[in-house]
Amino acid sequence: MQIDETLLQRLEKLSFLQIPDEHREEMIAQLSEIVAFVDNLSELSTEGVDATFAMSDTATRLREDAGSVDRTINDDILSHAPHSQDHFFIVPKIIE
Amino acid sequence: MITLKEALKLSKEELISLKEELKAKIADNPELNAYIDVLNVGEGIPIAIKDNIQVTGWSVTSGSNILKGYIAPYNATVIEKLLAANMSPFGRTNMDEFAMGSTTESSCYGKTLNPLNPNCVPGGSSGGSAAAVAAGLAVAALGSDTGGSIRQPAAFCGIVGMKPTYGRVSRYGLGAYASSLDQIGPMTQNVEDAAILYDIIQGYDPKDSTSADRNDGTVSDKLDPNVKYKIAIVPDYVKDASEDVRNAYEKAIDVLKSAGHTIVEKTLMDPKYDISAYYITATAEATTNLARYDGIRYGNRVEGENLKDTFLQTRSKGFGAEVQRRIMLGNFVLSSGYYDAYYVKAQKVRSLIQQEYNKIFDEVDLILTPVAPRTAYEFGALSDPLEMYLSDIYTISVNLAGLPAISLPVDTATNGMPVGLQLIAAPYAEQTLFNGALSLETKLKG
Repeated sequence: MQIDETLLQRLEKLSFLQIPDEHREEMIAQLSEIVAFVDNLSELSTEGVDATFAMSDTATRLREDAGSVDRTINDDILSHAPHSQDHFFIVPKIIE
Repeated sequence: MITLKEALKLSKEELISLKEELKAKIADNPELNAYIDVLNVGEGIPIAIKDNIQVTGWSVTSGSNILKGYIAPYNATVIEKLLAANMSPFGRTNMDEFAMGSTTESSCYGKTLNPLNPNCVPGGSSGGSAAAVAAGLAVAALGSDTGGSIRQPAAFCGIVGMKPTYGRVSRYGLGAYASSLDQIGPMTQNVEDAAILYDIIQGYDPKDSTSADRNDGTVSDKLDPNVKYKIAIVPDYVKDASEDVRNAYEKAIDVLKSAGHTIVEKTLMDPKYDISAYYITATAEATTNLARYDGIRYGNRVEGENLKDTFLQTRSKGFGAEVQRRIMLGNFVLSSGYYDAYYVKAQKVRSLIQQEYNKIFDEVDLILTPVAPRTAYEFGALSDPLEMYLSDIYTISVNLAGLPAISLPVDTATNGMPVGLQLIAAPYAEQTLFNGALSLETKLKG
């Protein structure tokens, strides 16, 4: 599997990342090499194997819907956020 | 350095002077760079903490520029447990950025040296914790292990490192890398200390939905090096390791035999498939976990022209190269058109790996394998990403199958560096794991 410039652009979009021009060729080569390596899984037969894997069958159990909010945590997070005001996170304007 | 077991007997005054002494020694060794900074909470025994475990009020950054300025608003469950056991979080240790690495070179705080040879890496990603313990700058430390990040640096620095069964130790408050693989574990001077620290941090936690709701009791008070086990060795698996590692393997087999254990030969699938299943799974989970770093709610923000540009600038400037590579890979294996061939296939192979281990554990109590194909690398030796991934061959299947394992020093290589090996046990068989490790350690010292 060879990663090309088109696929790299698609991955950048999905990743919210921008690879600088001087590193694009290297990134393409590295990703291609890694993907070519992991293609070895196609050598293994996985016929009849369940497509889902869970470490434990008992995880993610249901619980009572009891409130457990610690307001001090909210306040601390907001006070350390890059930009917050009136108990809100502030982001650049998205609607003109 | 005083052991954790001995430190349990210290008075309040003696602990204060121990911490003063540690602070002075850490300040005298800045070039080692095991610690990012040295803060203390409480009056207990000092335990060094990897920079991805939340301690209230500490700037916990996972070794990443994108989290600089972030202040942890709560304690991880393991930190609450330490405090309840009269232990103090003491110092943040260096690590590969977001635990993605095998050398601790990718930290935004610079590299950590191996205390046994400053030209070599301490291993990773918990390299700071391993170096701190090995250099006598910590009584014990916590690390996290996603694909070997406790066991490999322990082996490279000549200390003991233990990865618990998946679900045994709460991940609440651990900076997530790959949620189905991550576990916090002890890094200590000896096996008994590892058991003591493991007992303190383990246990069910309703705040972690993958926490195992079971109570198997403590292990350190029941340690018995005289129980005889059936231990599997995997000769095929070891043939590609360096001569030093192969010699250590032979030595450990002889020692275990002389301690009265029964040795049987087994085979495991070619570890090249482990690498593939691991890097597909880990990057897929990482890309999801790291989506939260957008510069809006915490850490570093790089202001862009609009919201989208802010996301883009923050992430492109905040994440280092290896993290960006793994995010891109994760998005590749999860993206439409490739999902079935890569991600789903890897999950199926993961089932095969788990089944293979289950079958072996139907017959044996423990498996002995190397931790790394060779001793600690020199700086820069693993600069090619795929080369670095391949160096994880002996540790990652343990994470994929969720098993407990312990790395301990077995031999000294011709270059003077330590060689560590690991024992692996069945899920939740930590008592067997520690007993076997103590038997090996005791006989090696004897």
